[in-house]
Amino acid sequence: MTIATIVVAVVGLSFAYLLARYDFFGKELLDALLTMPLVLPPTVTGYYLIVLLGRRGLLGSPIYDLTGWSFAFTWQGAVIAAVVVALPIMIKASRASIESVGRNFEDASYTLGKGRLETFFRITLPLAKRGVIAGIVLSSARALGEFGATLMLAGNIPGKTQTMPLAIYEAVSTGADIRASLLAVILTVVSVTAVYLTNKMTRARIY
Amino acid sequence: MLTVNAKKRFADAGRSGSSIEISFEAGNGFTVVLGPSGSGKSTTLKMIAGIIRPDSGLIKLGDRVFFDSYTGTDLAIKDRRVGFVFQDYALFPHLSAEKNIAFGIKGSDARSKAETSLSLLTLFHIEHVRHRLPAEMSGGEQQRVAVARALASDPSIVLLDEPLSAVDQEMRSRLLDEIVAAQNRSNIPFIYVTHNISEAERLGGNRIILADPNEPGRIEA
Repeated sequence: MTIATIVVAVVGLSFAYLLARYDFFGKELLDALLTMPLVLPPTVTGYYLIVLLGRRGLLGSPIYDLTGWSFAFTWQGAVIAAVVVALPIMIKASRASIESVGRNFEDASYTLGKGRLETFFRITLPLAKRGVIAGIVLSSARALGEFGATLMLAGNIPGKTQTMPLAIYEAVSTGADIRASLLAVILTVVSVTAVYLTNKMTRARIY
Repeated sequence: MLTVNAKKRFADAGRSGSSIEISFEAGNGFTVVLGPSGSGKSTTLKMIAGIIRPDSGLIKLGDRVFFDSYTGTDLAIKDRRVGFVFQDYALFPHLSAEKNIAFGIKGSDARSKAETSLSLLTLFHIEHVRHRLPAEMSGGEQQRVAVARALASDPSIVLLDEPLSAVDQEMRSRLLDEIVAAQNRSNIPFIYVTHNISEAERLGGNRIILADPNEPGRIEA
């Protein structure tokens, strides 16, 4: 979960900046592709991940031949599934907030002798931080609640690839009602808190 | 000496199809660029700064070539050393007056940056806004911080894009005096864009008049 959140934050922010500030061929196609997991059933996203990364997958097969290791049924597979499903939320939220930062501020920074990287971290990111933090909170909540894609690629191995929703599913199907309701309550509290914090933050003035 | 010889076709809606072709030289002192809105005044400044890329031509300051379509030179904005005063000031909203000014000062010694920043604030008679954010300053104070910030980065040329269009008449003449004084101290080229004839008259210097955008290309120097 923690690893997935960090990966989503870094990768998502990079894509968001790219999409917000550069024009290139196929830009909106790339955006559509990255957004797809938001609308596709997670099992379909998971199926594509198997096709790509499974033991006999397009990338998975050469990896397996080379190392004898595969993403399938490992915690790394669970991380990949969570990242792919949570990434669109991070990209959407931070792209919009980066686009809302006036280009004049970045141009002013360049004329004051700063390069792109320094301008991003000292000007763009602080001014877009509300949307970026909202993106991190919501996407990590989404990663925590991952079910379908994880089940497809990483399976349901307790202590290894089992996410909370998978544990709930298992508890219900084996009749462990108390365990199921406890886990459900925890997930609900986390989700409500995440949405509440995000709403509060996006309304608060930061400067 | 700044040499500008540039051509640019407007891409934005409303002006698309028309283009600007501008050619002038500017030495130390003021060069005032006058013209109605849409005539390409801002575009000219942004081409000198490197924010907008000309379609063709040559822009150089002394022997430093900023842009040359013949050799394919296009110097990065950060390496041109231009002080730019934006029409809306573009002060960083999350930084205090002092930090806005210190932002462009070279070197890594935070203390000497703060001292330089404070001395500029004192020079412009606004040391009281030192710790204030732009949103907590008056229009005239913001304007002074914008000019101070542009000067703090040790520029080799200063570009001012209608810097006084947002302040009232009385404030305008005071700020104009301060800008003239700043030029006298630094003795570098100041390119001053305005549509206000009386400002142009107060500044003196060379004058470049851009024509109406619907009659493209006509420039009188």
